[in-house]
Amino acid sequence: MSNLLEVTNLRVEHRGKPIVDDVSFTLEKGEALGLAGESGCGKTTTALSLMKMLPSGLKQSGGIVLRPPDLEEPIRIDRRTEAGMQVVRWRHISLVFQGAMNSLDPVKYIDAQIAEVIRLHEDGVSGKQVHARIDDLLTTVGLTPALGHRYSHQLSGGQRQRVMIALALACRPSLVIADEPTTALDVVMQAQVLQLLEWLRRELGLALILISHDLGVLAETCDRIAVMYAGRIVETGPVAGVFASPQHPYTKRLLDSLPVIGGSRGLAPPIPGGPPDPGDPPDGCAFHPRCPYSTERCLKDPALREVAPGQSAACHFAPWSSWPEIKPVSVGVRT
Amino acid sequence: MTAKNPARLLIDTWRGRFGLTILAVALFVAVFGTAIAPYPPEASSLDVLQPPSFNHWLGTTESGADVFSQLLVGTRVSMLVGFAAAIISAVLGSAVGIASGYFGGWTDRILDALENWFLVIPTLPLMIVLARLLDPTLTVLIAVIGLTSWAGTGRIVRAQVLTLRERAFVERARALGAGDTYIIRTHILPNTLPLIFANTVLIIAVAILSEAALSFLGLGDPTRISWGTMLENAFNSGAPSAGAWWYVVPPGLAITVLVLGVSLLGFLYEEYINPRLREDG
Amino acid sequence: MSGRWLAGKVAAAILTLVFVVIFNFFLFRVMGDPTTQLARLPRATPEEITKLQAQYGLDKPLVGQFTDNVADTAKLDLGISQRSRRPVWDEIKDALPWTLLLVGTGTLIATLLGSWMGVIAATRRGQKSDDALLGFSLFTYASPEYWIGIILILVFAVWVPIFPSGLQMTPGVDFSSFLAEAADVAKHLVLPATAMTLMLLGQYFLIMRSSMVDVLTEDFITVKRATGMRWDRVVRRHAVPNALLPLVTLSAIQFGAVVGGAITIETIFSWPGLGELTFQAINDKDYPVLQGTFLIFSFGVILANLAADILYFYLDPRVQTK
Repeated sequence: MSNLLEVTNLRVEHRGKPIVDDVSFTLEKGEALGLAGESGCGKTTTALSLMKMLPSGLKQSGGIVLRPPDLEEPIRIDRRTEAGMQVVRWRHISLVFQGAMNSLDPVKYIDAQIAEVIRLHEDGVSGKQVHARIDDLLTTVGLTPALGHRYSHQLSGGQRQRVMIALALACRPSLVIADEPTTALDVVMQAQVLQLLEWLRRELGLALILISHDLGVLAETCDRIAVMYAGRIVETGPVAGVFASPQHPYTKRLLDSLPVIGGSRGLAPPIPGGPPDPGDPPDGCAFHPRCPYSTERCLKDPALREVAPGQSAACHFAPWSSWPEIKPVSVGVRT
Repeated sequence: MTAKNPARLLIDTWRGRFGLTILAVALFVAVFGTAIAPYPPEASSLDVLQPPSFNHWLGTTESGADVFSQLLVGTRVSMLVGFAAAIISAVLGSAVGIASGYFGGWTDRILDALENWFLVIPTLPLMIVLARLLDPTLTVLIAVIGLTSWAGTGRIVRAQVLTLRERAFVERARALGAGDTYIIRTHILPNTLPLIFANTVLIIAVAILSEAALSFLGLGDPTRISWGTMLENAFNSGAPSAGAWWYVVPPGLAITVLVLGVSLLGFLYEEYINPRLREDG
Repeated sequence: MSGRWLAGKVAAAILTLVFVVIFNFFLFRVMGDPTTQLARLPRATPEEITKLQAQYGLDKPLVGQFTDNVADTAKLDLGISQRSRRPVWDEIKDALPWTLLLVGTGTLIATLLGSWMGVIAATRRGQKSDDALLGFSLFTYASPEYWIGIILILVFAVWVPIFPSGLQMTPGVDFSSFLAEAADVAKHLVLPATAMTLMLLGQYFLIMRSSMVDVLTEDFITVKRATGMRWDRVVRRHAVPNALLPLVTLSAIQFGAVVGGAITIETIFSWPGLGELTFQAINDKDYPVLQGTFLIFSFGVILANLAADILYFYLDPRVQTK
């Protein structure tokens, strides 16, 4: 097996209720996977569980295997203890957290914090080498190295976001997770950050998991996309394929809500209802109460299965070759 | 965590139960203390500094008086001074805070400077100076404590009024032609009262400690028995060196327990009105 | 603009102090002047009263009295003690070092111990150790410090006589060396300093604990953990330094309490500091001394607040670069 990351049947529970339910996916070296879905669908929880950084009270289970190219043996993240994870975190897999406003220690210089992380994972690095690395990292993300000797509050929001990316790259991991890297940034900054991520991926051969509720963002940078709903993956496949021909009603509705330049001026009808309460999930397909196409069959759990080359969906009626007219506000069958 | 109603908080938490019990007992003893005390508290006898016995549950003082009776009677002073001084402090602090926050401008500047001054100045020396200049009575004590403790309330109220003043409903009321008194009475005051109340409960605790300290230093009412005067007499008559623990421990313990009870209730109420303070929420 | 900020703080401190002087003056002149107090003494004759009035300048108009008072205060002429007949300033000068010794020791230990306890409690929030520490601080907060002092005397000076029950030195002893004398003072310092420490411990503990709890919820702590840092290092190098900042500003509120504690604790232990001086002045109705100690206490607290502001300024880079 040559894939970089293999996640099997990942499950995260809070007091017995599933926040992430039977999630499986793989990631190749240098591949960019987009994780899409509304807030609360479990995207961030999935990301945190890859690093075993879940807050106390959440229990995770399922297989997570990381195969960094510079290691002989694969890392079984699912079996690692906290001490064992401390060696893995950042060195092989790092995370750019959502909202960079307060992600750095306010009373320490930025370069000191990057240096600290480098020294944490590498022995015998000289001061000069570290300094050179930091300058290099800052330049890579488009910042002048002089900014290193500043405090976090002296930087703008966009600059702080870039510093977090530089920090994530500091130990040269093979996988970087970016959680909503463009939210809270203006459109111009958004484009720059995405360009940066894309460039890093090509230049450094990084694998990327990009989490966003904004499908437009994912379309630009990702090779494959996985759509999550209520803690489950409901569709996955190559970006082009999924966008051109979605195979799950939820994906279809998400795509419909994206404004199209040159298209009609009207807004697509909003998806009625809201995401289900994890404590009381609907029977069968989690989306069926809000799905305009749902029938009795949807009370049975649809498995995620391949419905087109490289594309899988969790819907009984997939593959969809065309999408029927949407009946006005059908609340669906629900018990 | 949803805001429980205050009655539930009082009954469900151990802090609430403890505080409520203490307060209830203290209130009862304060009212009926003189009636249920086994001996008249001033009554001297020849049994000087005797350890606890069947006749005297907590032993006797340096003049042969019954410690237990003194302890019971002293409750009244602590409760009276504590509550009265806290009320004065609350009224004064709220008035200054509302005037300062609502009217702004020079009123605010002067009152705020005054408030800050009272906050910086060490309270006990100030109280000592004021109390020494006047005659030692309970009224003086209450006035002195009340007049020196208001600044904390004032500051909190002022901050709250400042935020309220900018709120939409105040603007609307003014646009409709409402006068200042009306706005203060119907909009500002109701929204500030919970804060004032929470703060005042904690001031009660501080006032009780202040009365005890002033009495201990000799500035209390010599005609009244309080826990502070008990400690003062005990100390002055050499009870500690004589090892008379029965005389020395109970008054201080009583102060501690009462202050604890009141403080716990105060913290509980603070949490109720400000869910952010709750640590399990 | 650090220079301007600093100047502003110093100006505010001076202004506050000026108001203390004004307050002092009006309090004692308006609420009661020394001669009327003296007149309560049975022996004062009308001639003596007139003489005292002239001596205190009470026959001048109020404004004149005030300017005299301010000028005198600036020269550290705070009057004469009615009890000892010595200048008030001399009494204060003798007593001040002892108070500083007591307060300094107590505050130092309370800050160190309280902060350490606060860090432990915050990292073990909700567990038994946290509850125990909270309970302990609540108790010390609610109990009168002089009562704690009395109990300390009872236990450690009477029942198990390890420490002396009062004074700062064993009286009537000639000490062979400075070291021997210092050791004797240290022995006498233990109980009063313990009482002072216990009084302050709870406050510092609670402040540090709540400060730590706040810091531990910040995003950057999670980020540090994500970088593979061991938890004890995250706490030590990133949480604690950030938690110390509010500690500096919040503990400034305690300075008034420290003064109050000094007064009562020194009284209990007959420790010859400003507090004991105040206590005697209360008993003797020695108004010049009471005025003088009130002035010094206020000055001390104002100075301590200023020092805290400056310290905070140097510790927090966010304030410096505004």
